Amino acid sequence: MSRKPDGTPLLEVRGLRAAIDGKEILKGLDLTVHAGEVHAIMGPNGSGKSTLAGVLAGRDRAQVTGGTATLDGRDLLALPPEERAVAGLFLGFQYPVEIPGVGNLYFLRTALNAQRKARGEEELDAVDFLGLAKEKMKLVEMDPAFMNRGVNEGFSGGEKKRNEVLQMAVLEPRLSILDEIDSGLDIDALRVVARGVDALRSPDRATVLVTHYQRLLEYIVPDRIHVMAAGRIVHSGGRELALELEQKGYAWVEP
Amino acid sequence: MGGTLKAAEQSLLGGQEALAPAPEFVASARRAGRASFERSGLPTTREEDWRFTSLAPLAAHAFGPADPAEPVDADELDRAAGRPFGPRLVVVNGRFRGDLSTAHGMPGGVHAASLQHAVAATPARVEGRLGRVLAAEGRPFAALNAAFLGDGAFVHVGPDARGGAVELVFVTTGRRAPVAVHPRVLLVADPGGQAAVVETYVALGDHPVLTNAVTEAWLGDGARIDHYQVQDQPGTAFHLATVAVEQGKGATLSTHSTALGAALSRSEVLVRLAGEGAEAHLSGLYMADGQRVVDNHSVIEHAVPQGTSREAFKGILDGASRGVFAGRIRVLEGAAKTDAHQLNSNLLLSRDAVVDTMPQLEIYTDDVKAGHGGTVGELDRDALFYLRSRGVAADAARALLIYAFAREMVERVRVPALRDRLGRLVASRLPGGTAILEAA
Repeated sequence: MSRKPDGTPLLEVRGLRAAIDGKEILKGLDLTVHAGEVHAIMGPNGSGKSTLAGVLAGRDRAQVTGGTATLDGRDLLALPPEERAVAGLFLGFQYPVEIPGVGNLYFLRTALNAQRKARGEEELDAVDFLGLAKEKMKLVEMDPAFMNRGVNEGFSGGEKKRNEVLQMAVLEPRLSILDEIDSGLDIDALRVVARGVDALRSPDRATVLVTHYQRLLEYIVPDRIHVMAAGRIVHSGGRELALELEQKGYAWVEP
Repeated sequence: MGGTLKAAEQSLLGGQEALAPAPEFVASARRAGRASFERSGLPTTREEDWRFTSLAPLAAHAFGPADPAEPVDADELDRAAGRPFGPRLVVVNGRFRGDLSTAHGMPGGVHAASLQHAVAATPARVEGRLGRVLAAEGRPFAALNAAFLGDGAFVHVGPDARGGAVELVFVTTGRRAPVAVHPRVLLVADPGGQAAVVETYVALGDHPVLTNAVTEAWLGDGARIDHYQVQDQPGTAFHLATVAVEQGKGATLSTHSTALGAALSRSEVLVRLAGEGAEAHLSGLYMADGQRVVDNHSVIEHAVPQGTSREAFKGILDGASRGVFAGRIRVLEGAAKTDAHQLNSNLLLSRDAVVDTMPQLEIYTDDVKAGHGGTVGELDRDALFYLRSRGVAADAARALLIYAFAREMVERVRVPALRDRLGRLVASRLPGGTAILEAA
């Protein structure tokens, strides 16, 4: 594990509170993720895992009512979603959205170039981008024919998840939050997701896996596991925590 | 200060005396049109067909007759209407202009000329059709158009015509005062003839103009006609277009309208499937913002068995604009095995934008498949967030989604140069402009 010399975490969440339609879902959540780490957040349905992922990415479904979240020391909560992406945050969606009429490949290039431009980097032309996209498609075993369709248009559940990992691989975020990326996936697809996450393992990046099942963790070994219940993280530990959950279920963590 | 409806009607009838002398069948159509308009006057919102479209803004202007000899230079024309992509007939203020037109590349078997010329030179080809497809009675704007019947375009698609496109450009100029013009198109397709006809309506000058166009089309047995109308006028313009079509046995019509500009734009498409096995495809895209009004009326009449009609219109409404869609499908007694479907989808981009959508099915026979559907919605918030979460700025993400909605209607266009032009015209109205066209 490598840390920044000054010890600043890549992601630091303190006392985060958020509500949906006036109902508090996150109730003072703390989480620290350092560069180079892979974390898993586990917990029963309704514990607030997806709300946490959405709030960090800037989804306006939940209103933040308290606390802070910083990425590399920058106040995440003050940024619109696109600027969080530019800052290096990536959310892998539990339910990727179908957008007919917007080409997959065009979307991905638009996204990459929007981020590069905002960071003052040179934009990729169509040819260079295609080279990059092809390389990453191989990594996630994505049929290139899918790239000519609309975004996620007519994709199966597994293909949508592969597309999320493809986007992550092309955008190379500092922090990837993958929300239930394993739901509905067969073993082959899980392997592909794991490969995508592994490809991005580096001393200056981090990944947060949000998952209900420990099955994913047979393919991706996290450095830290957190158990979430009722809007807070109630246990944190190493990989042994996942096995404990597997044996005992979530009942013992319920408040 | 706005005038009264009566004053507006009087001023609209002015200038008839300046019309060129015409053969009796044209002169009598003029008299009948004038008499009909004098009886009906301009429609008001008390009439069912005009319930949602007030003509008060139109009646506020005294539209006078336009000068058909108005100088228009070719560059100015190309800027407004795009460069020609083939043979192009230009009609300025209702009169055919040879100086601006080119017949170069006319598709084989297709003949296109000034209507006035056709009336004088080949009256036999015109007389049985002109004013016969569209009954002006009860349609005040068609009646007003008939009162000024004289020129416009005549397109004859011979039996050997096998495709290719002719473009008709209608220019209305309001350089010195508000003017009204009433161009007419007569399209006759012989049995088996195939062609595409593109009508483009533009306006020049700073004064409000009223363009009141009528297109009559007659499709012989087995003819295949692709018909397009593009309305791209300044926000001060008023545009009324009536398209009336009668189809013979097995004839296939596709008529597609794109309404992009004007303060008030109304399209009426009236199709009669008069021969068995005829097929009609009606589609269109309308976009409005500000205080603009855009109205699409259609009536499809299945008069005989085994007709098919498909209707799909999409609207994009921003600001405090108003959209109207009224689609009537009439299946007459005896028109068994009719298959009719209608779809109207609307995207509202602001809280103040309004759309009224009214499907009307009138079915007088059994053994019919008829249906309609439609949506009125805002941009998909989940899709918007998805795009933004990948780093696409809010404005650009909105533009991508709006274009994605419109795209289907652009891609229906089968004349490649027109499809490209419409793609650019639609995209240029979105934040980020034409860069979005790569989204394909």
